[in-house]
Amino acid sequence: MPHMRLLLVDDEVEFTLALAERLQLRKYDVRTAGSALEALALIKEQLPDVIILDLKIPGMDGIETLKTIKKIDPEIEVIMLTGHGDVKSVEEGIKSGAFEYIMKPVDIEELIVKINKALAKKNKEQ
Amino acid sequence: MEHKFEEGLRLLQLHFIGKILAGFTHEIKNYLAIIKESAGLMEDLIKLGKASESDSGQNLEIIHSIEEQIEKANTLFRYLNRFAHRMDIQFATFNVNESLEELAALVTRFANQKKISIEKDFHEAIPPVYSNPSLLQFVVYSALEEKIRNLDKNSKIAIQTGVDENSVRIRIVPEGNFVQGEGDTTSISYKILEKIVMQLGGNILQESGRETLIMLPLTNS
Repeated sequence: MPHMRLLLVDDEVEFTLALAERLQLRKYDVRTAGSALEALALIKEQLPDVIILDLKIPGMDGIETLKTIKKIDPEIEVIMLTGHGDVKSVEEGIKSGAFEYIMKPVDIEELIVKINKALAKKNKEQ
Repeated sequence: MEHKFEEGLRLLQLHFIGKILAGFTHEIKNYLAIIKESAGLMEDLIKLGKASESDSGQNLEIIHSIEEQIEKANTLFRYLNRFAHRMDIQFATFNVNESLEELAALVTRFANQKKISIEKDFHEAIPPVYSNPSLLQFVVYSALEEKIRNLDKNSKIAIQTGVDENSVRIRIVPEGNFVQGEGDTTSISYKILEKIVMQLGGNILQESGRETLIMLPLTNS
């Protein structure tokens, strides 16, 4: 598998570090951000293939962040992370261009399936 | 009129409890997510043969992270349990600092969403009050919620307690720029809070700079 660039955005540092390491062990190239602003700065520095974005990050609303990401590059696929099954936000996220969502606590195998589907969609569109 | 007030108050209290439970479950899910990822990482390292003795530093770090999250979850459960039991009895003698400490822990998440920090500045030797602890928490929550809604990002709210000759004082002091908050039909009007605090034998003042001051009579006064 070529190096797939992932960006993991969540304000829970221990969560992002552990999940990032698990994904790195599976040969993904992972960067992490703890806030929307940090994420946007990293995206501008290097475009990721897929972003895993917590909908409840401090500073900027998750949906607002998603819309900004899509404005920067509509081809970046976004998988939303939600801790509480917020149906309204998930629906709004999908309408705003998110590829998928996954609930916390995360099932790593389910996440990998979704990441790979997002990558396949991105590659097909290119 | 009185019946309408009581009915309205019950609805607002239900909304309050709902908000507290939503914040609590969200926090617990976060702790569980960290525990799951940390345990998963240990499993991955073992399966890949990377959890050898030479990596014991990292392994211990992961185990400590799990223990830390369990402790945080346990503390939050304790706060929620105390919060729930405060509703068992209407009036009791209690320590205001303790009831505010648990409320602050349960609402911090909402504030953090807007990058608003909640700081506690409690008078250490505060005497107990005889009052209704759950109603007091409801009033303080309402004042906090109003400030969180109307403050700009990167602000601060201080919860201060103090004491004078006859009363215990609770100040909720916002620091930061005020913006027009999003319309929230469930926000509590100041008149309702005033009525509740008066029923508790105290007083509430909305001061300049949008501070809220709540005064409760001391047990012996």
